[in-house]
Amino acid sequence: MNEKSHLSSQFDDELGRLRSHVLQMGGLVETQISAAIDAYSKGEVASVKHIVETDRKVNDLEIAIDDDCAHLIAKRQPAASDLRLVFGISKIVTDLERAGDEAKKIAKGVRRIYEAGQMPSQYGIGIRHIAEAALVMLRQALDAFARLDAALAVKVIQADVDVDTEFKSIMRQLITHMMEDPRTITTSIDIIWIARAVERIGDHAKNVAEHVVFIVEGRDIRHLPKENKESKE
Amino acid sequence: MQPLTTDEIRIVIAKGKFRDNLFKAVGIFCLAFALLVIVALIADMVIKGAERFTLDFFLNFASRRAAQAGILSAWVGSLLVMLVTALAAVPLGVAAGLYLEEYAKRNWLTNLIEINITNLAAVPSIVYGLLALGIFVYQFGFGQSILSAGLTLALLILPIIIVSTREAIRAIPAMIREGSMAVGATRWQTCRYHIIPYAMPGILTGVIIGLARAIGETAPIITIGALTFIAFLPPLPFTAAEGGATAGLFDWVMSPFTVMPIQIFNWTSRPDPAFEVNAAAAGFVLMAMVLSMNAVAIYLRYKMRKRIKW
Amino acid sequence: MSNHETPVLKAEARGLNFYYGEAQALKNINMPIYDKKVTALIGPSGCGKSTYLRSFNRMHDLYPGNRYEGEIRFFPDNTNLLGSDVDPIEVRMRVGMVFQKPNPFPKTIFENVAYGLRVRGENNKRVLEDKVEHALKSAAIWEEVKNRLQDQAPNLSGGQQQRLCIARALATDPELLLFDEPTSALDPIATGAIEELVHELKKRVTILIVTHNMQQAARVSDYTAYMFLGEMIEFGKTDQIFIKPQDKRTEDYITGRMG
Repeated sequence: MNEKSHLSSQFDDELGRLRSHVLQMGGLVETQISAAIDAYSKGEVASVKHIVETDRKVNDLEIAIDDDCAHLIAKRQPAASDLRLVFGISKIVTDLERAGDEAKKIAKGVRRIYEAGQMPSQYGIGIRHIAEAALVMLRQALDAFARLDAALAVKVIQADVDVDTEFKSIMRQLITHMMEDPRTITTSIDIIWIARAVERIGDHAKNVAEHVVFIVEGRDIRHLPKENKESKE
Repeated sequence: MQPLTTDEIRIVIAKGKFRDNLFKAVGIFCLAFALLVIVALIADMVIKGAERFTLDFFLNFASRRAAQAGILSAWVGSLLVMLVTALAAVPLGVAAGLYLEEYAKRNWLTNLIEINITNLAAVPSIVYGLLALGIFVYQFGFGQSILSAGLTLALLILPIIIVSTREAIRAIPAMIREGSMAVGATRWQTCRYHIIPYAMPGILTGVIIGLARAIGETAPIITIGALTFIAFLPPLPFTAAEGGATAGLFDWVMSPFTVMPIQIFNWTSRPDPAFEVNAAAAGFVLMAMVLSMNAVAIYLRYKMRKRIKW
Repeated sequence: MSNHETPVLKAEARGLNFYYGEAQALKNINMPIYDKKVTALIGPSGCGKSTYLRSFNRMHDLYPGNRYEGEIRFFPDNTNLLGSDVDPIEVRMRVGMVFQKPNPFPKTIFENVAYGLRVRGENNKRVLEDKVEHALKSAAIWEEVKNRLQDQAPNLSGGQQQRLCIARALATDPELLLFDEPTSALDPIATGAIEELVHELKKRVTILIVTHNMQQAARVSDYTAYMFLGEMIEFGKTDQIFIKPQDKRTEDYITGRMG
């Protein structure tokens, strides 16, 4: 990527501010997710409220960043790498915001389960595992964005397959569990919702990584077969 | 540096304004001096020659009696000589200027020619007279005629016309030339449709300034032997001439002649002070001719420039 | 981005070098110009883009000391525009040009457009009238001037003058039309009209345009070439040049990182 500065130092400042806002937003979403995982595994219903509040901050940031992008396009008419950066950021924030929403869903699911006096069953333990995998994906996607590292982004994209596979296996286990003991159906459905949310976080992390590849290499690799997603450089 | 206060700024401006006004006064004085000279000159001639401003003065031939002497042959001669001069000098000068600006390659030969055209403008007019005496009068056998005089003066003003043609052409923006060439025009088409028409005001100005210079020239005309006393006009085309023959269309060009400056010179060299009155009156007429030619030049330039804008 | 049809070559520069006296202004330029497409030349001042453009109609031949090497092939007849056996006037009859500053002749609107036809020996009044009207319509200025064809052209506004100059170039049906920064002297509205016109014109004529305004290149062109210090740095589809240029120098110029 381009290390030389623009003729307009103001333009440089604006782009820099935009990037740091994205990272700040990413940081908030990360804390939301890890708090939601903790709430799930430790039963900390109290932190649910905090997660929901954080989501409001995330939403505000999304709007602010999108607004900055629109202003920057109108004022600077960015081209080439700058255009890809602004365009990519505008899409990244959408995925980050949705990942935050999924964290909120997890938190609300956790509250329902615990308020009903239930404990996550043994089959729900696997969720903690994929949730952490999804969190790592998001963290790496944001690192890849911060460093404009396409190779790391490609790794994140590949990791999504594992999360998807694990999600499917959790689903199968829960279905079996529900058939064996119909009394657990209510709780199991909540857990399915949570698993589903975790899987979605992985998808959003993957999308962020794909946007990073577009920003760095100018290739749009969404919807391409897996083998073509390898970095060319 | 401390920023100036309002009062200080006003003092600075006042100083500057004072110098402004000082120079304005000096300039007006210089201008007035120059104008005064020309006004005095004209006034002097008008006052001295006032009693001769009659129709007869213009219609009489030269005479031994001052009161009856007129300038008929002189002003007719001057006009005819100018006609020959213009017919010879304009095509030559314009074509030469056009060639130098539009066609000639830039090399040492062109540079040499250019320098020498400038030199030509600086040659004293008497030298042209000597040249013409040798070439036109004797070599070509034109004699002491209107033709010889016209061609001599044409040589004299040729550099002026060439230089003013080139200046006029140079004032045409390159993008006009490029615009013409870009649609596939040849150089000649470009010259014919654009360069010559657009340069016309400048060329005409040069021509008239040149003619105004030529009409006042005395030395070369004396050198080739213009008559100082002449009591007939050149033959009009198709009128009866001496010996019952009919004058041809161009017979007048071979006729002996006199011109205004020579007439004036002749009168001033007479002992009788009455002729000084004639000289002053004729001088005023010559002056009026030159000034009106300049006026025509200014008018033409103004009128044609108004049509041509880039 | 449906550019699947194969573009047809209209012209191609091959190993083109150009010298102003001793100074080399163009260095080994190789570049295709595609038929009925708009190709934009961009680059900083003094990069040689105008010099390159003016090679296509041999404008440099008007001034002494200029020298070409290499060739510009012109298709379909495969003529070398720079060939010493090819008359520059023949080249200019096939390649029209519109200049940076509008340069109408100080004549009537009609005569400005008719000039190219007169130069070709056309003097039939009816033919001239038809072709002038057609050219003025093609240049999208007919409606504005149809009632004042005998007015002096320099009395038109800047934008109208430039469209008149385009009409003048179009009247003789050129195969290639060169634009040398055609809007640099115009206001944004007039600029927009010219850009719209360029878009219309590419249906019938190949266009090569030099512009200082990168956004203009992005808006009007199908292909873009970036030049720097007399060299062709990068040539490609405009979309590709403005989203993902291959060369670092193109990237720096397009994103405003020169310096």
